[in-house]
Amino acid sequence: MNEYSAVNEIKEQTDGSETMEKSRPVIEIRNVSFRYKGSSEGLLSDVSLSFQEGETVLLCGASGCGKTTILRLINGLIPHYYSGEMTGDVIVDGRNIRETELHDLAGTVGTVFQNPRSQFFSVDTDGEIVFGPENIGLSPKEILRRKDLVVSEMRIGTLLDRSLFELSGGEKQKIACASVSALLPKIILLDEPSSNLDWNAISDLRESIRRWKEQGKTILISEHRLWYVKDLIDRVLYLSDGDVKQEWNGEAFRNLSEEKVAELKLRPITLEEKYIRAFTDEKGAITASKKSEARNCRFDTDKAENGPSGKKVILSEFCFSYDRKRSGGHLRKCLKNGTIGECDGLQLCIPNLVLPEGKVIGVIGRNGTGKSTFLRCVCGLEKRCPGVITVDGKAYKGKERLKLTYMVMQDVNHQLFTDSVKAEVLLSMEKEDEKRCDEILSNLGLLPYKDKHPMALSGGQKQRVAIASAIAAGAKILLFDEPTSGLDYAHMKQVGQMLQNLARTGSTVLVSTHDPELLALCCDEVIHIESGRVL
Amino acid sequence: MNSSKLQAKDFITIGIFTALLIVVEFLCGMLGYIHPYIVASYVILIPIVGSIPMMLFYTKVEKFGMISIMSVLLAIIMFVLGMGYLGAPLIIAAGVAADLIARSGKYKSFKKTILSHGVFCLWICANYFPVIVTADSYREDLIKEGYSTEYCDNLFRAINSKTISVLLILCFVFGCIGAVIGKKVVKKHFEKAGIV
Amino acid sequence: MRITLDPRTKLFMVLIVSMVVLMPATTPLLWGIRICMTMIPILLLLSEKRYASAIRFLIFYGVALILTFFFLSKESQGILSAILIGYCGIVVQFMPGIITAWYCVRTTKIGEFMSAMQKMHIPDGIAISLAVVMRFFPTIKEEYGSIRDAMKMRGIMFGGGNALRMVEFRMIPLLFSCVNIGDELSAAAITRGLGGKVRRTSVVELKLHAQDVILMMLFTAALLVFVFFKYFR
Repeated sequence: MNEYSAVNEIKEQTDGSETMEKSRPVIEIRNVSFRYKGSSEGLLSDVSLSFQEGETVLLCGASGCGKTTILRLINGLIPHYYSGEMTGDVIVDGRNIRETELHDLAGTVGTVFQNPRSQFFSVDTDGEIVFGPENIGLSPKEILRRKDLVVSEMRIGTLLDRSLFELSGGEKQKIACASVSALLPKIILLDEPSSNLDWNAISDLRESIRRWKEQGKTILISEHRLWYVKDLIDRVLYLSDGDVKQEWNGEAFRNLSEEKVAELKLRPITLEEKYIRAFTDEKGAITASKKSEARNCRFDTDKAENGPSGKKVILSEFCFSYDRKRSGGHLRKCLKNGTIGECDGLQLCIPNLVLPEGKVIGVIGRNGTGKSTFLRCVCGLEKRCPGVITVDGKAYKGKERLKLTYMVMQDVNHQLFTDSVKAEVLLSMEKEDEKRCDEILSNLGLLPYKDKHPMALSGGQKQRVAIASAIAAGAKILLFDEPTSGLDYAHMKQVGQMLQNLARTGSTVLVSTHDPELLALCCDEVIHIESGRVL
Repeated sequence: MNSSKLQAKDFITIGIFTALLIVVEFLCGMLGYIHPYIVASYVILIPIVGSIPMMLFYTKVEKFGMISIMSVLLAIIMFVLGMGYLGAPLIIAAGVAADLIARSGKYKSFKKTILSHGVFCLWICANYFPVIVTADSYREDLIKEGYSTEYCDNLFRAINSKTISVLLILCFVFGCIGAVIGKKVVKKHFEKAGIV
Repeated sequence: MRITLDPRTKLFMVLIVSMVVLMPATTPLLWGIRICMTMIPILLLLSEKRYASAIRFLIFYGVALILTFFFLSKESQGILSAILIGYCGIVVQFMPGIITAWYCVRTTKIGEFMSAMQKMHIPDGIAISLAVVMRFFPTIKEEYGSIRDAMKMRGIMFGGGNALRMVEFRMIPLLFSCVNIGDELSAAAITRGLGGKVRRTSVVELKLHAQDVILMMLFTAALLVFVFFKYFR
């Protein structure tokens, strides 16, 4: 105990005139080893770290390297929420985490989590912002003062008094940031906050982080996507196998060569930004750079017809509106004349699109511009969409589309139904054929997991199980909705290779993505969707 | 962390499973619009379908109060959704009793869990209370005014103060059967996946 | 004109109405009271600009009333009219409760409700659980929607004709999702101080206004008159 009071004394003395070197660290991790309950391998081994007040630090490294675990040590979720074997001490703002109750840390450490869907407690935005302050029992007056402050700071006035369920992922993440801000914590932790966000939302997130940095908060970010934080960080820790393997200051990190970054299996630091500049200019204003990029990406009917394989998949009359009343008349009008001008009010209007068979086709565009709608219509989930898919001269419409196609959803957990990988594949077959099942599984490298429960597998493996079931069902067109969101570099590469393999075996693969690396890695063609139209 | 008192996390778990149970009840309730006799078959449908989340729930909290609080929530929600207040005592009594039974087996004993779920399922009969109370006086009123009792509809014929004891027994029996089925499903999926 | 009521008033209305629906009306006066009590939440729904639901309720209730009064007399025979009587009977009997409950649920924010619970001295634990229930209904709806989509793509909507599998295929992914979301939600809520020893506060400050008092008195009076004329005359 003596030591801690000494810490406080020193702090008081140095207040006002302190320099970074002299001030005592606000977070100290001393010789911590940790192993989650039920897992055989230790996740952290004898880690010692310290963070100065006001520092912005990036934690990077492959999945499972211990980034998230370090954040959990600091916000107290370890050992108070996730149990396991822990040795060593963590001192945050003069308090030993082991002896501090979680709710007492609420005003000191704030955490923004990965999944915007699951981290809010209330139903409406106002309730969510005041949730934290209400919990720690502040007076209503003070809570309202803080709420107004946060709302004006983050400029989220337009989001107030809305249901959280109707917000986009990016807006939800903004509210999550606001909710953390309202507790006025000294330390803010962000655990892969950009995983589910598109570029616009990410730049909003960057703004929030910048604001916190200006306010002098200590910020720790665990992240795979490096480009958006690179200008904000003072220090970078590279983790591997449960320990810090390398450390750079911000400047040195920004100057790392591309080869070095690739060698560390990190996502590129600059590539993504280049790409965004090419594609996200204001709507309508097609700049020179965009045009030239777009030419490569835009899908040309002639080219497909003269393509090497010659075979093609034709999508026609893919028009759709979520508004039930409008869809009927509008659709007819739009289809009759076929000009884009007639299709106002439709969320999707693709009268005719020719795709090469057996290729990987990237689908890009900003969030909310109709990518998901497009995928849903292609695979026949939107019944009111009249679209017809023609493959090998055979036309598929209505419910037939469901059999021809298969979509691997962003949250693959929704599409696994049975209690073993094998049963999952057999379920999709009209006639159970174990031999074929083994064949499919071995092609996807799933044979060793044949009898495991799909939910016991890792995210990437689950994705492959879903693909296996699609192949077993005889789907010729495979659709992927953001298959690499939240994946590290190595896993993303794996997905890219798998998509190419699928195309090589004759499937046509459509993949909607924000991941430029994935596009560069595996896509043969790219279609760009904007406001439901193919550009 | 390992204290036997309910904590914030447990309250959240209780809330989630209560929501799931109510959704199950409402989906089964939808079927009741088809024919009033189906309303009587809630005593079979809800215990069996609801047993899957319930058996998972039993493994998730394992502290005294989990089922009692769930029953209080059910009573409040039933009241707010216009199902009346008459059933509340039965719901809460069933919940507390089920909780006590499960506690006597330290929330681990499977036999006790079966029994506990059977008792808990009695809450379903609370849904019938308004119908029963009305049925009896409705009948009386109709007869008084010269209507023949034939006009009393199917619903009142299937559910009245005479059949309620049968319905209660059915609830209990199917609650126990449901517990066995639910446990199997939990084993098949959640234990195998390592969630429990 | 918008009339906003205290959640406690709304709960009180639900209570009174659910008492009244248990006592069938027999005389014109009793019918009058019942119908008036049903009209109040419909009017309140209108004042909250929820026209669609108000009109739907009005038509539904009105048709059932008219059918019961004018078309289904003791002379009507046959299965169809027997079933119709059954349905109309149920609608006329229980609809008032459902309308009031709908009004209460649709026009009360969770924050207001929590604050009302606190004012009524309901323990924090129950209030927290109840808030989670409210938050989870839309979540379950979303998750279930995705699961249905996935089932459609796999062509297993009817579980191969097996009722148990039909339930299993829906329930299992739903439970996995809910458990996952629940874990993440708990972590997020606890790091924001949920479950502390201090009593939670609430920014929503509730006060009973004139309209609350008037409505409470009106409903109490209606109940008393109803009981008096039904059982003591």
